[in-house]
Amino acid sequence: MSALLKKDWFGLGLVLIFGSILISLFKPAFISPFNLYVLMLSVSLMLVVAMSQMIIIAIGQMNLSVGAIGGLVAISFTGLMEVYSMSILPAVLIGLLIGLACGFINGYITVKTGISAFIITLATLYIFKGMNLGITEAQPFYEIPEAVKFFGNAKIFGPIPYLVIIPIIITVLMWILMNRTSLGRYMLAYGNNVQSSELIGISSTKIVIYAHVISGLLAAIGGMLVVCRLQLGTPNIGDSWLLPSFAAPVIGGAILAGGKVDVIATAFGVILVSIISQALVIFKIDPFFVQIFLGFMILLAVFINRYREYREERRTKVFSDE
Amino acid sequence: MSDYILELNNITKNFPGVKALDNANFRLKKKSIHALLGENGAGKSTLIKIITGVYNQNEGKLFLNNQEKSFSSPNEAMNAGISVVHQERNLIRRFSVGENLMLTNLPKNNLGLIDYNTVAKESKKWLDIMELDIDPNTIVSDLTVAKMQLCEIAKALSLESKILLLDEPTSSLSPQDTKNLFALLKRLVAEQDVSIVFVSHKLEEVFEICDEVTVLRDGKNACESEQITNLDRQKLVKLMIGRDEQIIKSKKNIDFTEENLLDLQSINTDLGHKNINLNLKKGEILGLYGLVGAGRTELIKCVLGLDKINSGQILLNNKEIKIKSPKDALEKYKIGYISEDRKKEGLILMHDVLSNAGITVWSNLKKILSFLNDSIVYNKVDPYVKQLEVKTPSYQQIVSNLSGGNQQKISVAKWLASGTDILFIDEPTVGIDIKTKSYLHELIIELSLKGTSIILITSDMPEMISLADRIITMKDFKVVGETINNHNYEEMSSSIMGNIHE
Repeated sequence: MSALLKKDWFGLGLVLIFGSILISLFKPAFISPFNLYVLMLSVSLMLVVAMSQMIIIAIGQMNLSVGAIGGLVAISFTGLMEVYSMSILPAVLIGLLIGLACGFINGYITVKTGISAFIITLATLYIFKGMNLGITEAQPFYEIPEAVKFFGNAKIFGPIPYLVIIPIIITVLMWILMNRTSLGRYMLAYGNNVQSSELIGISSTKIVIYAHVISGLLAAIGGMLVVCRLQLGTPNIGDSWLLPSFAAPVIGGAILAGGKVDVIATAFGVILVSIISQALVIFKIDPFFVQIFLGFMILLAVFINRYREYREERRTKVFSDE
Repeated sequence: MSDYILELNNITKNFPGVKALDNANFRLKKKSIHALLGENGAGKSTLIKIITGVYNQNEGKLFLNNQEKSFSSPNEAMNAGISVVHQERNLIRRFSVGENLMLTNLPKNNLGLIDYNTVAKESKKWLDIMELDIDPNTIVSDLTVAKMQLCEIAKALSLESKILLLDEPTSSLSPQDTKNLFALLKRLVAEQDVSIVFVSHKLEEVFEICDEVTVLRDGKNACESEQITNLDRQKLVKLMIGRDEQIIKSKKNIDFTEENLLDLQSINTDLGHKNINLNLKKGEILGLYGLVGAGRTELIKCVLGLDKINSGQILLNNKEIKIKSPKDALEKYKIGYISEDRKKEGLILMHDVLSNAGITVWSNLKKILSFLNDSIVYNKVDPYVKQLEVKTPSYQQIVSNLSGGNQQKISVAKWLASGTDILFIDEPTVGIDIKTKSYLHELIIELSLKGTSIILITSDMPEMISLADRIITMKDFKVVGETINNHNYEEMSSSIMGNIHE
């Protein structure tokens, strides 16, 4: 039990369960099939975006260009299908390739220059976004194949949308990556302590580039899933991703200095943010409050993290020897 | 075929403007513990960095098992069997002990995924060899500093290292942990075919466990692979500093019936101090002795307002005071604090020497002039920096580029310049060479003769007995003894240890 309490996802899970029960007691509409369907859609999309940021947080960096990559891939994906009448599969593959390339550029420049990823991805954010606007001239693409529309809006059974399949697979793969593979463990080791991981032969170049490539791929998938959902490719896809992409991992106990992320807790963070956004709608509270609420959630999560670290430091300091 | 596992012949290493090593030799015998000694700046660190592949020498050759080698990175040296044991720095703190030990070669199952049962089992082997009773699933950050260090050694063994370099391994260990570490090192040398290079400023330790000694002075060998049995403390010190050691003793007569300058009455704190009573006279050096973890530094921090005092009073000149912060202590009550952890608390590493040394005088000078310029700060600070022989190319040098000893000197210099009435000094000479140590001792005594009252925390018993006028012993966050110092080492140390082990 005490081992469970130490896990980041456990406390969050409790908050989710009790919060949901509480909300549905006041507003039974919260657990109506339609509402659950909408909830799952929003969780699905943000889950991929959050994972895309989380892997960069794991190595102690930030990726500000997550949304810009997602947007660029989204309009490339739709553009290829509309303008060049490309079929779905090759368009998806090219979309993934663009995400991979964007991630590679971020990682390569960061590791080769030694400049912080914050600065590099701030620059590439504008480059990717600029390419997006240059290609689209700020006009959306509307011609989307029926299969894509279907995937984004149909239900498997009950209120469960097809759209959840990919994000769930991604979450499982991410958990395996971060907990059961050398690559994932080396990323966390690198995020914990760059010097000592280099000393035992972990290549910084490899770790940083892999993390950014995976981040780029996930952002690309996120962008294409949004296209499925919206049934069109607009140039502003991804514009609002930045804040929630940090919120979910941080609420899930991630430390921005690196070396600590929790995949399950991040997923719970996404669900929590989505539930809160929706509860505010159900209670007819002005949607602008969602942003304010999100801000406070991040502050709260950061305070809790800081408090834990403080406790940990003090314990090791006072009882360092006896 | 020689019986040396590692040989460095005629090594020269140049840095811009400095010859760090000049034809230095170092030979490590198989299965021996070899002390590498020298003052700060004598070239020890440079030699170690050449052995571990951080630097390459300009001249000279390195042989490992009679084969000439040249390492281009620390990782290469490690793969060749050479590991540096730091105090905790090489572990991933949020990973388990087992995962840390196996990190370079994590065992996988059929699916290619990490098998944590095997990780625990394999790593347990190495912990068992060291007779370490640690569960491999423990997270490193939950361990004590001493255990972390032992895990570092276990990690080096798991990497099949045949040469271990231990750099100041005991500087934050209690006497008991030090004893355990030494027993372990001796066993490793005897049973595991390991050779050890031991770097320390504590000569007692060198005599206790080392077989041979190499001393560097100004980048040259002052002696090379000398049998420890041929040396004594005086000879060794002379080799290191080039002259005889001066033993400094404080010769003062404090009138203990005089009024208290600072008086702590029945202090209980948030950190667990129980009923602390303690007083300080004008011009007195009051020593606080105790093992690491006795709560000495923590007490000072509570007094300075960094942690909470739950009950009790602090009197300054018989008037009750409430100190809110170290800044408050300095500006309102002229109480200064020289921290033990100079990296974290004492200095702003990214700033230059002048602004660090001058930081404490700023607020005083500002009142008079309402603005500051460098030359005013310079005039205040310069005499102390000179007196301490801080080796810096200029006052504009960034502090983080100086050696550890020089950083310590600057953190002391800034307090000397500030003109405080009461000074808390915490472990002033950890990691400092003998020459600087005696300068610091002279300064502390001189300061007290001029009327500054000092509370001195040190775990170095000889230092305590040569400096303090009165010694308070602490244990488990309580005061367990008070002795007036008669500067007789035998008598005082047995009386203090008696207080601790009662």
